[in-house]
Amino acid sequence: MAAHLSYGRVNLNILREAARKELREFLDKCAGSKAIVWDEYLTGPFGLIAQYSLLKEHEVEKMFTLKSGRLPPADVKNIIFFVRPRLELMDIIADNVLSEDKMHSPREFHILFVPRRSMLCEQRLKEQCVLGSFNNIDEYILDLIPYDGDLLSMEYESAFRECYLENDQTSLFHTAKGLMTLQALYGTIPQIFGKGDCARHVANMMLRMKREFAGTQNQILPVFDTLLLLDRNVDLLTPLATQLTYEGLIDEIYGINNGYVKLPPEKFSQKKQGEASKDLPIESKKLQLNSAEELYGEIRDKNFNAVGAALSKKAKVISAAFEERHNAKTVGEIKQFVSQLPHMQAARSSLANHTSIAELIKDITTSEAFFDKLTVEQEFMTGVDTDKVNTYIEDCIAQKDPLIKILRLVCMQSVCNNGLKQKVLDFYKREILQTYGFEHILTLNNLEKGGLLKPQTGSRNNHPTIRKTLKLWMEDANEQNPNDISYVYSGYAPLSIRLTQVLARPGWRSIEEVLKMLPGPHFEERQTLPSGLHKKRQQGENRTTLVFFLGGVTYAEIAALRFLSQMEDSGMEYVVATTKLINGTTWMKSLMDRPESQTA
Amino acid sequence: FYVTASYKEQRLETRVSLLQSAVDEFNKARNDFCAKATEDEMKLLRFQRKLDEEKGAGLQGLSLQATAEVLLSLGLHKQAEQLYRDFRIPDKRYWWLKLTSLADKGDWEELDKF
Repeated sequence: MAAHLSYGRVNLNILREAARKELREFLDKCAGSKAIVWDEYLTGPFGLIAQYSLLKEHEVEKMFTLKSGRLPPADVKNIIFFVRPRLELMDIIADNVLSEDKMHSPREFHILFVPRRSMLCEQRLKEQCVLGSFNNIDEYILDLIPYDGDLLSMEYESAFRECYLENDQTSLFHTAKGLMTLQALYGTIPQIFGKGDCARHVANMMLRMKREFAGTQNQILPVFDTLLLLDRNVDLLTPLATQLTYEGLIDEIYGINNGYVKLPPEKFSQKKQGEASKDLPIESKKLQLNSAEELYGEIRDKNFNAVGAALSKKAKVISAAFEERHNAKTVGEIKQFVSQLPHMQAARSSLANHTSIAELIKDITTSEAFFDKLTVEQEFMTGVDTDKVNTYIEDCIAQKDPLIKILRLVCMQSVCNNGLKQKVLDFYKREILQTYGFEHILTLNNLEKGGLLKPQTGSRNNHPTIRKTLKLWMEDANEQNPNDISYVYSGYAPLSIRLTQVLARPGWRSIEEVLKMLPGPHFEERQTLPSGLHKKRQQGENRTTLVFFLGGVTYAEIAALRFLSQMEDSGMEYVVATTKLINGTTWMKSLMDRPESQTA
Repeated sequence: FYVTASYKEQRLETRVSLLQSAVDEFNKARNDFCAKATEDEMKLLRFQRKLDEEKGAGLQGLSLQATAEVLLSLGLHKQAEQLYRDFRIPDKRYWWLKLTSLADKGDWEELDKF
């Protein structure tokens, strides 16, 4: 069921099993039939840990989403609330509980806080006079959720915003805790590297937590050799750029949510010819995307321009396999063929799906608008005319293109130019306010606070230096058979990944100068292992690094790391962890302020 | 900066006075751009209210661009022109706006004029 988690270098299924076990223990604590009331945000991530069937085994009979007013009727003994520790959610719960009590039904209420209980929330419940009605208040520690064989995410949406705008370091605490859990299962990680203020905080917290546990030695052979903590604000540019890998584009265009993507149904409906083809399914098609699907695993990280070729090759292989039945003569051969049928049919339907998706994406990537935008992005990344008002952006504003697109481009220009001239910056800001409305002044302020948009200060524009030293722009990016990570953005090599690459070889000492130009300190820590646990490395065995992106990571960056893992001479394999999987759009959204919608 | 956040929540015409205090705060913080932008917004709000009362155009709360758009589509060219001058809308954007909204309406005569 979750086989794709165990294929990778590190068996992440252990983590998932641990999480499931804890969930089961909690459910068994509340004897009798149960109904779960969900904080809607949590259902997605939870789906990756436990399916409904598991809950059902533990007498969960009904599930509701949390909303104010009376709970829907359910004939169960226990009501369990699964919530994030948020004050506004507490009010809803109190409302639920109070209206329920009036009916005098003998019920038990429980709360499960994910990922951690908070005093503040309990206080709030107390104020509402409902704290006493709960039989159980517990926490379910769910920090890092395994997504794929080499990918962990906390799905903590507001991490970047909280760390850089609101100076709230709760998410960093969760991160550190999550990493401790990980170390408890996979052994202490001997080396920790980091870059950025948040990275420093997390590392400090980890070391402190370790000291608190002094005396209890972790006797597990370490699976990870190195941990690299990277702040998102070290590399603001990468998420702003349009991702050009297959998976990245799916995310940019349709959005991947908890491993699922929703696609418009038109392309998929024709396949069932004959059976009521007229009534198109109104519901969009939902597909799960992970490496359990063989074909997807192959093409997800390719540059989109190489996907077509890969798909047609696959098509040939499959049809050739089907042709084989004509050659099957003996009963034994036929039997063998039949035994392969289910696998082949699955491959064929997966091929059909991805061909349709690729067609959908192709319609967009070949459009003029997409090309124009990409051209401008690439101009910025190569440093062409970054100090002037860009006419393309100006035109986009005049035509009222989506605000997020504008913001992405403007921020990109600002980052590539190490800040914009005051005059240019003010021009953009005024244009945006006049066209999209005054309320966006708050968003603009947020962007400035986050360092995405800034006026040029006295110092020289140092971005060209960074670009040159780290080779962020490769003129001859090979999209079909990549030889460098720059293929994921068709020319631009993500800064964050370059840092990772240089760290592995030849080491950060060689780029000391550039590191100083990037925000935040860089550091190195060692955690001593109990003797006897030092790994005896076999010849040719690869080392494993866990790269943790604080504030989010994009699919293209993950693709680039996977590419590095596969390179033969790198001698390093990477596992990715992050606070949230992001793309430029979702990231911008998390930074926006919309006063109107808050009041509504 | 936090000032604006709270002020935006309020409806009605208390908004203008609340925005005024925002301007004061911005001036204190020596954030010229925001102060200017907030002043412009106040000016726009007053302008919208005036027109709403006179013509019932339903402009309240729209952005400057949207306001000008509505004005043009209602055929209130003079008022739109006034906005263009008062708020110094860049030529390029204003022409775009004028072109599209006049074309939408099929007002070729007016379009012919420039």
